Amino acid sequence: MNSIRSFCVSHGVHRYVPSLQSLSVGSCAAARARFISNSAKNNRDYPQVHTNRIPNRILKLQHPTSNFCSSSAEMRSCWSCGSPAQLFFCSACKIIQPPNHGATYFQILNCDQTFAVDVPELQRRYLELQRSLHPDNFSLKSPTEQEYSEKQSALVNKAYRTLQKPVPRAVYMLQLHGVRLQEGTDATADPNFLLEVMETNEKLAESRSPEEVDDIGQAVRETLKDLTEQMNTALNKGDLQSARELLARMKYFANLEEKVKEKLTENL
Amino acid sequence: MALSSVGKCFSSFGLFGRTLTGTEAKAVCCYHKKVVDHYENPRNVGSLDKNARNVGTGLVGAPACGDVMKLQIQVDENGKIVDARFKTFGCGSAIASSSLATEWVKGKSVDEALKIKNTEIAKELCLPPVKLHCSMLAEDAIKAALADYRLKQKDEEKVAEAVN
Repeated sequence: MNSIRSFCVSHGVHRYVPSLQSLSVGSCAAARARFISNSAKNNRDYPQVHTNRIPNRILKLQHPTSNFCSSSAEMRSCWSCGSPAQLFFCSACKIIQPPNHGATYFQILNCDQTFAVDVPELQRRYLELQRSLHPDNFSLKSPTEQEYSEKQSALVNKAYRTLQKPVPRAVYMLQLHGVRLQEGTDATADPNFLLEVMETNEKLAESRSPEEVDDIGQAVRETLKDLTEQMNTALNKGDLQSARELLARMKYFANLEEKVKEKLTENL
Repeated sequence: MALSSVGKCFSSFGLFGRTLTGTEAKAVCCYHKKVVDHYENPRNVGSLDKNARNVGTGLVGAPACGDVMKLQIQVDENGKIVDARFKTFGCGSAIASSSLATEWVKGKSVDEALKIKNTEIAKELCLPPVKLHCSMLAEDAIKAALADYRLKQKDEEKVAEAVN
């Protein structure tokens, strides 16, 4: 245990290794993330909280809606009365509907499909939806309604977690366009860029004082902010090639940001 | 009402504790003991002088997970790899793959080292399919280090020719 921990300090651990991470960091956030993903399956104890950690499976998730047609989200009949149904409730009998997997996360959270999404508005919409969809509200309803509320609530959580942070949002938006980050090595990567990532990682691993870590964190956040702005421009222009390269860069720096946070927690 | 929600909270924590232990136990089992061994006791961590003529440096990254790996080899006058070092910032499998790669290249000639395949690394470490890209990263790092070394040697030959 100790040896793992000390090795993590010097080498950093990628957060998407569940076992080693929980052994070494055992962080509350990771546990919470796991709790949420478990409870999404269980649905008995549905949490209101969301997690700041981005599950790696988002990266692998092949969204089925790349050929999404906007009408498919609207044109459904209520399973109970047959009237036209909205995304979540029937417009006539107000009964809860099953999740519509043809809807994009942007449609689920009722916001414009843009990278420069209004995050406070997104959060407001998320909380509003969870207030009406939360399984606690359906404890006295039929098993079908309970099941739909659990599924809808889980889907809204997933949509919010995906769109809330720039990296998963970019991954998702590129997936909607059918673009995915390649597995394996990046042959096209600029060697100077990789060197910069390597050196920042080394500097962070060798840093001893919280001030040093803070300085690195500051620089990493600035780089991420800059990359986020460039990503917005690229996606607005529909320049998917640039967006994909920018996303790869964002991934390296998002990892660094995570490691800075871990290091600051360890120092406390 | 208030009491019932408190009860719900507690029951949710009870469930939480159990699921967490279950997941952890399962996740630990998923890692082969060889990966854990390399992760706990990594071989050949560190750096060689990247400016030295007989040192080749390979720096590779995996865009999908944001891992970076540096692998260096030191070659003697007979073309044999006498030393190797790595630094990897990534997951346990990436660390184990590069640690194993440094062990394997040592004592080999440059041509022999080129033949190391990611599938062999993955097999030795019993990597699951989702972690195969970590072994690919290690193979590419070896190739990049060997290419860097050969480039340096070629440059040196050119300089020697120019002098003659």
